[in-house]
Amino acid sequence: MLFRKQKREQRLQQQMDERPKSPDYWKQVWRQYRKNRVAIWALRILSFLAVIALFADFLANDKPIYCQLEGQAHWPVFRNYLVDAGVGKWPEGMSNFDWKEAQYESVVWPLIPYADNNLDMGNSYKSPFDPQKVKAPRFRHRLGTDSLGRDVAAGMIRGTRVALVIGLLSMAVAAFIGILLGALAGYYGDRHLQVSRVRVLLNLLALPLAYFYAVEVRSYVLEESSNFYTQLLISLGWAMGILLLANLLATLLKRLPWLGRKWTMPVDILVMRLIEVMNSIPGLMLLLAILVIIPRPNVFSVMVIIGLISWTGIARFIRGEILRIRALEYIEAARAMGYNNWRIIWRHVIPNALGPVLITLAFGIAGAILLEAFLSFLGQGAGSAQVTWGRLLSLARNSPGAWWLAVFPGLAIFVTVSIFNFIGEGLTDAIDPRRG
Amino acid sequence: MFLYIAKRIVLFVPTFLMVSLVAFGLSQCSPGDPVDRLLINSENDINWENKKQYERDYRYKARDLGVDRPPFYLSLLPRAYPDTLQQIVPPDRRRAMRKLLDQYGNWDAVHQYMETYDGFMAHFSQLPDSLGKDDLINLQRHFLHLEHIYKVAAIQYEWEEIGKDLEKNPELEQQIATELLELKAAYANLQSTARPSDLMIPSIRVNGLDNQYHNWLVAFLKGDFGVSLQNGQPAGQKIKDALWWTVVLSLLSMFFTFLIAIPLGVYSANRYGQWFDRITSAGLFMLYSLPTFWIATMLVMFFTTSQFGEWANIFPSVGLGNMTASDPFWPRFWQRLTHLILPVFCLTYGGLAFMARQMRGSTLDVKRQDFIRTAWAKGLSPHQVHWRHNFRNAVFPLITMMAGILPAAITGSVVIELIFNIPGMGLLVLDSILAKDWPVVYIILMLTAVMTILGNLMADILYTWADPRVKFDL
Repeated sequence: MLFRKQKREQRLQQQMDERPKSPDYWKQVWRQYRKNRVAIWALRILSFLAVIALFADFLANDKPIYCQLEGQAHWPVFRNYLVDAGVGKWPEGMSNFDWKEAQYESVVWPLIPYADNNLDMGNSYKSPFDPQKVKAPRFRHRLGTDSLGRDVAAGMIRGTRVALVIGLLSMAVAAFIGILLGALAGYYGDRHLQVSRVRVLLNLLALPLAYFYAVEVRSYVLEESSNFYTQLLISLGWAMGILLLANLLATLLKRLPWLGRKWTMPVDILVMRLIEVMNSIPGLMLLLAILVIIPRPNVFSVMVIIGLISWTGIARFIRGEILRIRALEYIEAARAMGYNNWRIIWRHVIPNALGPVLITLAFGIAGAILLEAFLSFLGQGAGSAQVTWGRLLSLARNSPGAWWLAVFPGLAIFVTVSIFNFIGEGLTDAIDPRRG
Repeated sequence: MFLYIAKRIVLFVPTFLMVSLVAFGLSQCSPGDPVDRLLINSENDINWENKKQYERDYRYKARDLGVDRPPFYLSLLPRAYPDTLQQIVPPDRRRAMRKLLDQYGNWDAVHQYMETYDGFMAHFSQLPDSLGKDDLINLQRHFLHLEHIYKVAAIQYEWEEIGKDLEKNPELEQQIATELLELKAAYANLQSTARPSDLMIPSIRVNGLDNQYHNWLVAFLKGDFGVSLQNGQPAGQKIKDALWWTVVLSLLSMFFTFLIAIPLGVYSANRYGQWFDRITSAGLFMLYSLPTFWIATMLVMFFTTSQFGEWANIFPSVGLGNMTASDPFWPRFWQRLTHLILPVFCLTYGGLAFMARQMRGSTLDVKRQDFIRTAWAKGLSPHQVHWRHNFRNAVFPLITMMAGILPAAITGSVVIELIFNIPGMGLLVLDSILAKDWPVVYIILMLTAVMTILGNLMADILYTWADPRVKFDL
């Protein structure tokens, strides 16, 4: 009996899984999107940039890709990967080898034979057209150099990687928070989330405890440890553990009569208030203030913080979509089949609300890239060790004549930001054909 | 309507409190000591002679700023922590004591160690110069340093250094031997009586209303904005000075934005699909994606110097010119105006692109409605249809954008003010944050929150004016 019931449920589940994903929908969106020539070109340029970001080490490097030296073949760029990963070693006498000065039998250099942090003191502040002190035209600094002789082209190639990674990952963080909170607010509204008293109380108790054990107790380790971020992760783990424990306990205790009574949680009000708070604090100000506080900010901390402050738009969007979808019949059908709420949200509601979120994501990536570039321009953000487009541009402010330091990085930022804007625009037209 | 406004204001209270908590929390997390920065003798240049004076000044200033109080209504601290930690001066000593406590969890022993240290220093300072002036100075440096360190290795190292110095001067060693032993014994006692379990047990302290957060919030509501930590100037005065230029910039750029964007948006919507519309749409989209800080940098680079030829030196260099308030009005006005051209241009083009696109979109939406067809059918002139019927119903994005003016006037534009060196709010925000001047930062944060909410409220009221069908549900 029980067995048969399970089997029937399995079959139903299979049918549900197959149905609402509706491959037709995305196919149709793609067909609409393809009609927009500009948007298609934006996608092409984006893949070009992605290739640059992926193969940055092969495009700009101070080591040759392949060379033949004293009868032996070397693959220095590949070997560098192995050495960095800790599995390979440089051959005898090659760890500090001056690759530029060697006499090769044959050699294949990367397109730009400089790494982004190579100093070339003989060639500081050289414009692309200035005479440069290089031994062959092959080694010219094609896009000029900065005050320390660092190659601008190499910096731009390295900066592509940073920009794309920042844009994508910070929006991934924002999308995670935004989709989660927006879905909760939209699906449950103010009246439909019922939580047992014991869970509410235990969580209220666990929050301060989690703070206490993660921050107060560990303050000495957090402040004194040489590896702040590892310790921060451990602290987060503690906090999560305590919260998890409280919820497990609540699951056990909710069978008791008084503790098991339900309270209704006004999720929607709470989430909307939170969004209002986030929106009334200027993002740039919050970002700068957090960056000033945390010790040794790096690319990843910048990324996470940008994500943490830019989820509100996504949350509002998905909330609105879900409010619309919740009233549709197939959700009612899913509920009638006895699926639990999480399953309905994750498998049936969110996939159908994703279209508009993609649009906000595309515009959000453009915004995040712009924000990071501006932070680097201010000398904050990714730290001085990291070459970014914004930092190259900021060098131009201190050296008024060096137009190549302003034009090229700025152009790169502009192109990247506009292709994401074009993609967002194309998606808008494709997903919502009423407009435009 | 009034009920609605009242409800909005009541709803704003929790938001306002949250923003104030965020601002306050940020300042609490920030490293560095606010009191020390305001004192003339900073902690780095105190020595044995002016130590007492420094401590007195510090206490006085700390009471003045209210930072000797507990930070919040409640505190959740390990049981090992005393209530009086906040009142220990100087800050480096407080820090060292806290870190010792974090390691050993026994406040009494920490306290005793520092008291023994004070006793030792009192004795040490009485020693006559005849024992060897250079040796005394050298030792004093080591002992003063001992007050600030808390790691086992660092303290061991310092003891070893002191031992080496004393070996060279046996007479001096004899004079302080017993006291030195006591000090070492106190440190050993601290290590042996460690109670790490006390660090793991939480305890809640109720601090009452006399705490930093409460005092600050009450002062803010009364209009007392505190002093800037950078130079002790009143924060309110600093903001008032900066606000003027930001308001001038915002108003000018708003004016031009509206002046150009509205006709452009409406005009291209009415030529939907024609070449004019296509070109302006593409152009506006490019303009919208142009990073302001890039364009501003380029303009400053190419058009304010003669680096690239005399013809390119069109605009004056950055800043607001060198005339002061005593110069005659008209030349001063003219000079300021020429200095504002580039900043206003940079502020305008981004907003303009956004605004015109919005305007075009909403005009297009309205254009397809039935009542527009009716208006045409009635035989109204194109001008009447476009402006009286179509535009009037497409002003929503304008109103939404107007709501952004108020908060924008408070935060200013960091980019423009930085690049063009205009002493407005944006530059003040940036400077204050980078200098960790929290009193100024909070005030700006709070004012921005208030302005955002006022702007939204204003927009809501204007929506009802633009479209009487808009009703507020209470």
